[in-house]
Amino acid sequence: MAKLYAQTVPPPDLNKNTEWFMYPGVWTTYIFIIFFTWLTVLSVFGCTPGMAWTIVNLTHFAVTYYFFHWKKGTPFAEDQGIYNRLTWWEQIDNGKQLTDNRKFLAVLPVVLYLIASHTTDYQHPMLFFNTLAVIVLVIAKFPNMHKVRIFGINSGH
Amino acid sequence: MVRLPYLTALTTLFSYGLLFAFGQMRDFFRKILDLWKSKNLQGYAPICLGLEDFYTRRLYLRIQDCFNRPIAGAPDAWIDVVERYSKDSNKTLHRTSKINKCINLGSYNYLGFAAADEYCTPRVIESLKQYSPSTCSARVDGGTTKLHAELEEVVARFVGKPAAILFGMGYATNSAIIPALIGKGGLIISDSLNHNSIVNGARGSGATVRVFQHNSAAHLEEVLREQIAEGQPRTHRPWKKIIVIIEGIYSMEGELCKLPEIIAVCKKYKAYTYLDEAHSIGAIGKSGRGVCELLGVDTADMDIMMGTFTKSFGSCGGYIAASKEIIQHLKNTCPAHFYATSMSPPAAQQVISAIKVVLGEDGSNRGAQKLAQIRDNSNFFRSELHKMGFEVLGDNDSPVMPIMLYNPAKIPAFSRECLRRNLAVVTVAFPATPLLLARARICISASHTREDMIKALEVISKVGDLVGIKYFPVEPQKHLTDKIQKKLE
Repeated sequence: MAKLYAQTVPPPDLNKNTEWFMYPGVWTTYIFIIFFTWLTVLSVFGCTPGMAWTIVNLTHFAVTYYFFHWKKGTPFAEDQGIYNRLTWWEQIDNGKQLTDNRKFLAVLPVVLYLIASHTTDYQHPMLFFNTLAVIVLVIAKFPNMHKVRIFGINSGH
Repeated sequence: MVRLPYLTALTTLFSYGLLFAFGQMRDFFRKILDLWKSKNLQGYAPICLGLEDFYTRRLYLRIQDCFNRPIAGAPDAWIDVVERYSKDSNKTLHRTSKINKCINLGSYNYLGFAAADEYCTPRVIESLKQYSPSTCSARVDGGTTKLHAELEEVVARFVGKPAAILFGMGYATNSAIIPALIGKGGLIISDSLNHNSIVNGARGSGATVRVFQHNSAAHLEEVLREQIAEGQPRTHRPWKKIIVIIEGIYSMEGELCKLPEIIAVCKKYKAYTYLDEAHSIGAIGKSGRGVCELLGVDTADMDIMMGTFTKSFGSCGGYIAASKEIIQHLKNTCPAHFYATSMSPPAAQQVISAIKVVLGEDGSNRGAQKLAQIRDNSNFFRSELHKMGFEVLGDNDSPVMPIMLYNPAKIPAFSRECLRRNLAVVTVAFPATPLLLARARICISASHTREDMIKALEVISKVGDLVGIKYFPVEPQKHLTDKIQKKLE
């Protein structure tokens, strides 16, 4: 197979916490990680494929909610804390809404939800948890929720 | 413009994801285990929040032995590296008394002045005896010696500007001068890959900072037009002044800046230009006067030219060269001039002697020989690396060549394997470079002989095969050493 090369112009993003997301291959890696997690869950627990998709969906909800919408700031001390009040979701693309990256990340939980509910044949109680997960994630990614902290939850120190 | 194999991008992202996941797990367990430990810091705020130093604790410390290596001698073409060992997987490192003599591909020793030189060293020792190692004073108090005045004239003459001012440290030159030149209400437009000293100086000045895509005069024009039309944020008044900051050679890319186009854009929109020639002064250009000479730009078109003495002249310190009025203004306002200790006199003498050698004023043609040597060395090394299939960045004639590694695991692998074979290289990773683009940066010197370079190339080729970084197809050729033997004959 001929070697595929990806060409890229380095993006002028100063925030080192989010500029890695603008390089090629990020979306594919994300999808591959989810797929391999599903295979791992299936082989470790030996459950039905639908149950495995539900587990993947709920784990994806927990992990992405924590890292995208809960943890604030950056893992580097050199930017002197200018992003300390912003979650990762609010930092990407310099705060611009409705970019390609944001649209991709907003569609992904919905696709996972559809796969998980289809493979479990829309049975309770899995349907309830899956629906809860997708509702929370999609609402958190609305443009109107930029920098909104409901009831002061996670408004920080 | 960087090309990388798609599969490599995927695996690099996956590796960083894995490292991140393991780091988070370790932090989680550390938090649980620390609940049991008693703390006598009740009521005090933590010095750093848990997330801030995550990268340092969980990624950098794992490969700490590849950075901060202590050396035991002058950084000539060969360098003495002190061996270290660690008993707790790189959390703490201890020095031994063993020393490895390695080929030095990591020091910014472009013209070979870093080690003892037949013209410079006797004069430096004499000035050390006469003026002592430190002036123990700031420039305005008692720290201006004859050497400082002479060096300012020599530097101004060398660079091609009317006047110059010196500082004891290259990093401090940028971070102290930019706030003195521009303040609130001004606009700084800087290249996206500018050095950390410029970024800190720009942040410290209080001016608005905008970034343009690396080396793209078209994007610079777009940003200038947008900013001039909009004016200051919120009030929309016109900007007090606009400074565009670029570098001569970008140290992480090894490429020259597109100076003529960028100067043309700046002149069109009447923005001031600030050129940081830290890596290019003394190393490129027919007589070593830097990127302006190489690209044929008149120095009168640049408003402020900054440079350092650390790279090509084997000393330490920085300078700013500009018109007499700007230098006089800086002497009256810059805090580094008022409060920082002045440059060390032997260091100043080293620069004076080095510039005299480069210009040929010492009566020999060693300067011209060194300049030709470094150009030949860089072109030879770069073309050989290209032929071996490595991805090497940088333009021809530039003595800085980064070899792309990409994967985070290849950084310590390359570094350690090279050290084992007596080759000292510097590897650079996130956050000094973008996340995906980790690299090993090679700096060629005029004091490297052909044999040194051939040996280094062999080692790099072997380690490259071991680590798997020959991303581009190899040129079909005979065995490497046969070919080079033919070249030597």
